[in-house]
Amino acid sequence: MHMVKKIADNQVARLLDLVPYLTLNQGVALEKIANDFSTSKSAVLDDLNTLWMCGLPGYTPLELIDLSFDTGYVSIRNAEVLSAPRKLNNAETAALIIGLSILRESVSPSTNHIALIDELARKLATKSQVVAPETISGGVAPELRNIIHSAVINGESVRITYHSFSRDEVNSRVILPLRIFHEGSNEQIHAYCESSQDFRVFRLDRISEAVTQGRTDLSPSTNAAAVSDQELKIRVHSNLRKIFETFNVKGRSDLKPGDEFVSSAFTSEWAVRTICSLLGTAEVLEPLNIRELVLSRAQKALNQYQ
Amino acid sequence: MSRKSERLVNLVIALLATKRYLTKSEIFRTIEGYEGSSESMERMFERDKDELRALGIEIEVSALDPLFDDEIGYRIRFENYALDHDGFSANEIAYMSLAAQVWKEEALGDIAQNAMRKLAGVAHRMDISEIPAIAPVIINAPRFLNEIIDNISKRTSIEFTYLDSEMRTHSRRVNVYSYFSFKGNWYFSGLDVAKLEIRTFRCDRVVGDVSTPKNSDRYEIPENYVTDMQSKESDDHKVAQLSVRKGRGSQLRNLSSKIELGEEFDTIEFAYVAEGELVSLILWHLDDVEVIGPVSLRDSVKNSLQSVVNAHG
Repeated sequence: MHMVKKIADNQVARLLDLVPYLTLNQGVALEKIANDFSTSKSAVLDDLNTLWMCGLPGYTPLELIDLSFDTGYVSIRNAEVLSAPRKLNNAETAALIIGLSILRESVSPSTNHIALIDELARKLATKSQVVAPETISGGVAPELRNIIHSAVINGESVRITYHSFSRDEVNSRVILPLRIFHEGSNEQIHAYCESSQDFRVFRLDRISEAVTQGRTDLSPSTNAAAVSDQELKIRVHSNLRKIFETFNVKGRSDLKPGDEFVSSAFTSEWAVRTICSLLGTAEVLEPLNIRELVLSRAQKALNQYQ
Repeated sequence: MSRKSERLVNLVIALLATKRYLTKSEIFRTIEGYEGSSESMERMFERDKDELRALGIEIEVSALDPLFDDEIGYRIRFENYALDHDGFSANEIAYMSLAAQVWKEEALGDIAQNAMRKLAGVAHRMDISEIPAIAPVIINAPRFLNEIIDNISKRTSIEFTYLDSEMRTHSRRVNVYSYFSFKGNWYFSGLDVAKLEIRTFRCDRVVGDVSTPKNSDRYEIPENYVTDMQSKESDDHKVAQLSVRKGRGSQLRNLSSKIELGEEFDTIEFAYVAEGELVSLILWHLDDVEVIGPVSLRDSVKNSLQSVVNAHG
């Protein structure tokens, strides 16, 4: 899904950006240029050799750009005409404005960064015609993310109040966060859970409170996430897009009513509740015990209304 | 070493340095790299201009004076070429650098990288150490986000193929007014030209790319326009009253504006607009929740449970 559209790296654009960069960074090492321009050292040398032949009409040494780079360090002279950095185009401005909005989401509101970032985004928007996104909301409070993030870095454990979705319970437990990762559109923590003495995955947006407990000596020995998958065979009747998105079905965009697919479920509890929330538009075929559970639990809920 | 890149850079230098318009014959005579018959030089120059314009470089063309048989002239104005004079502070460059890094390998990654190259020539970057080097999830952005933003800027419609709730595809034409990201998904809103209604679209339900139709008229964004997402607070709501088992139903309890404690069950109340979503959420809770009112919601939940039972019986 995350297809990256590659834009051919254009040498002319690179050369025009290289001149102001070299003017500002006289004596910069070839390796650093390659690094700053995300390219190879040989590509940089090729660029410099091309630039070497450029200048004002006449093209005598008086008009040509004067470059020296045989020592491995680059200096530039006689390039005043090109020494100003180029304007940002709309797409570049948009990438920065959105990046700033995302940044704004991840810094703690108590810092002065927010005001500075807002001011900068306004400045960029005024200089272009690019509109900023209406909102960028990830559903996770920046403070919470910061607490977990610094716990990962410092090896601290954290007491969290967590809403366990599949069991529909709120409980408190102590975890040692190991890393934050992204699964689809969710931010998750891979952590060692002291309460269950095992590795667990927690969704950041289901943590309502987190309190740092200080450094912990607890050193988990293995690194395997303990999530047991169970296979479900499901037949679809209607409401296909929702089913498709709920089960994150991959590569089956041709799904038609009556079709079947196989998906995995974390727990049978999750499977039963999810199938019920699809209001009968999806039917579990296998395993039979889950099919029977769906029937008996739904019947029990229905009995409340008889 | 590329002769063509060399010629193009020389052309930029000459057109930037000149105080007056340069005519084509002056360009062919003085700029290195223009060779061959006059037809082939003409073709070369036309391609070069297109290429520079594609890089975002504005080439100004002199007006033809009908009284004189003057040749057309060309130049690049410094103020159209360069980043604004006041530029950006080292601090601002640092923020922008972080903002560009947010994209990494994602949708606008290459574009952000190009922006960084330009900014690397403005000022030395200052490091902001206290900013957490952690970007939230929202990078789930579609690869065509750039086109959507570009079309909003130009006020030109877009066309795309969209999946309906039964996974059938329909082609849509929309005048986009705004875009946003909410809980990890990206959306855009605007006028559906065929339906003449304001609609909101989720980017991952768009099949393939978005395109700009050739005969696209420029549109206006209404001044009083409010994105759908904000109009949630509409008056068109009903109040749900549910009985929820103790210690259960956190998601529903989070929505509630009123909770009345009971022995085994609590009674909660909250306002809702979309019944469909709520019915799904209530069914998720099985027999831990019972709908007290309104009757329409109670009936929907009852009928939906009956459908689940029928499907699995």
